[in-house]
Amino acid sequence: MVIGVAAVIVMVSMGRGAQKRILDMIHDMGTNLIVVNAGRVSLVGGRERQSAIVTTLRPGDAEAIQDHCASVAEVAPETSRKMNIQWESENLMTDVVGVTPAAFRVRNIEIETGRTFDSVENDTARRVVLVGSVIVEKLFDSEDPVGHQIRIGRAPFEVVGVMKAKGVDANGVDRDDRVLIPIKTAMRRLVRTTYIQKIHILVAKFEQLQHAETEIRELLRERHRLRDKPDDFTIQNQASLVQTERESARTLTLLVGSVAAVSLLVGGIGILAVMLTACRERRREIGLRRAIGARRRDIRTQFLLESLIIAGLGGFFGAVLGVLSTFLASTLGGWNAIVSWGATGAGLTLSAIIGLIFGIYPASKAAALEPIEALRSE
Amino acid sequence: MIKTKNIEKTYKKPSVTTPVLRGITLSIHRGEYVAIMGTSGSGKSTLMNILGCLDKPTSGQLELDGTDVYTLDDDALSALRNKKIGFVFQQFFLLERTTALENVLLPLIYADNYPADAKQRAKKALTNVGLEDRMEYLANELSGGQQQRVAIARALINDPDVILADEPTGNLDSGSTHEVLEIFSRLHQEGRTIIVVTHDRAVAEHAQRILELKEGQIIENTTSSKPENSGNH
Ligand SMILES: Nc1ncnc2c1ncn2[C@@H]1O[C@H](COP(=O)(O)OP(=O)(O)OP(=O)(O)O)[C@@H](O)[C@H]1O
Ligand SMILES: [Mg+2]
Repeated sequence: MVIGVAAVIVMVSMGRGAQKRILDMIHDMGTNLIVVNAGRVSLVGGRERQSAIVTTLRPGDAEAIQDHCASVAEVAPETSRKMNIQWESENLMTDVVGVTPAAFRVRNIEIETGRTFDSVENDTARRVVLVGSVIVEKLFDSEDPVGHQIRIGRAPFEVVGVMKAKGVDANGVDRDDRVLIPIKTAMRRLVRTTYIQKIHILVAKFEQLQHAETEIRELLRERHRLRDKPDDFTIQNQASLVQTERESARTLTLLVGSVAAVSLLVGGIGILAVMLTACRERRREIGLRRAIGARRRDIRTQFLLESLIIAGLGGFFGAVLGVLSTFLASTLGGWNAIVSWGATGAGLTLSAIIGLIFGIYPASKAAALEPIEALRSE
Repeated sequence: MIKTKNIEKTYKKPSVTTPVLRGITLSIHRGEYVAIMGTSGSGKSTLMNILGCLDKPTSGQLELDGTDVYTLDDDALSALRNKKIGFVFQQFFLLERTTALENVLLPLIYADNYPADAKQRAKKALTNVGLEDRMEYLANELSGGQQQRVAIARALINDPDVILADEPTGNLDSGSTHEVLEIFSRLHQEGRTIIVVTHDRAVAEHAQRILELKEGQIIENTTSSKPENSGNH
């Protein structure tokens, strides 16, 4: 009973967490987005993990997608690395992300103050940088940094703008704790690599999402000469992400749901056993009550109330356990779980109902006892 | 007050049928103090349970205070036991781990409406049986004699028409037996109807009238010679 109710609460809370994640993701990325990651990306504990560095995804791939895939509207390649940035005597480590100007549209990045950079600045690998709000706060003491010179690694950059705050994304990454620079600047002057990590692709029409994904996959496999080798990239689209989320949420629901069902059933049977024993051991009490004027329905009510109380207590402790473990799961375990008070109420109600249902038989048995037989029993 | 007509009780088992009561016809008036005697197995308890509407005879009629009992349904029988009958059993039958006071209050819970002065009444009933200093004791913290007096207080709380006591002194020593019989005599003097089942002639002698059961029939219907018990209608 206790475990059952706890399980119901945890289950529903996790479910709500997963649902919120899905909504967040759709909200963040828009529904027409496809993301190509270098290497394989897996979902671990509800969050994305990227496998070891893969060097096969290149800027040329992004251009090819733009040129050859009819269903694609816009393409935004990206490379990023954690680096030290410095202003005057302040230092901090942050994500330095190289993007093309298309990223501002594709990824829905808005400007708080200053400006973005354009494709000329990208092509000429200018040292310009846009900073996130966390950087403004930590590095510039919340002063407007536009026009200041900062160093990324050793290279000097001019701050041209500040991005609007976006908060933490579905993977737990703070999108305000980063700086954006032109991708060509990043590749030529900072990271000095020829490969990129991600391509964000905006598809013209939502209906073409699946088609676009197929097109992109075929194109990349051909360009990477994979033949019969597995993909060296991962394509995610909104639809499939939502699908994966749904599936893992459903598996979880199924698992916890069956635990809940089984333990509620066990709890019910436990109540049945306890009440049947009570009914047997308290025959004389039942007989006495009948002798002094209790009607059958008084006895039935008494026994039903007792099983209700037992079940209610079980439910109460279950609720406490459930809420506690949901808190633990979301704070320590890193799961996305939102305590569902609705589920807590439902769990309590459910255990009360189980108490009543499994109490009916023993209560009726107690009520059916003939007073004289009940009195005479040992 | 209580009238029976030709009550028979037969226990049927697949192999044997045991006739226990074979045509009991008796009449007990209001305010009478009656003892029922007989050897073990003669059917005293069976008759008592029938008179107390706890059990039904195989055939025959029972009239209680003008009501034909066997026309009533189960709920009405419960109500009748609650209002008109006070039981005292050999085994006391108190709720353990429950105070004397709460035990005495129990019949009021099943009454049509729970009286506002219930506690006062219960305290009065307990005082009546000499237990004013034991009200908050748990039933299992009381001696046998005290438990039986709590049971008598419980039987009295609803101001019943008749008190039915089946071997009330069967589990008591002579001191407690004496106390219980004193209380019965006093209740009788106050005008209550009392029926006591016993196989102890000394106990039966306290009553006005002794009915003797033998082989399922009443064979003797003697009026006790005891002078102090003869003053009632
Ligand atoms: N439920 C029952 N089924 C079968 N026989 C029964 C049942 N109850 C009582 N009897 C039989 O009825 C007879 C009378 O029983 P009862 O209890 O009335 O005797 P009693 O006069 O009260 O005896 P005692 O003095 O020992 O209490 C006994 O022979 C008993 O075996
Ligand atoms: Mg007996």
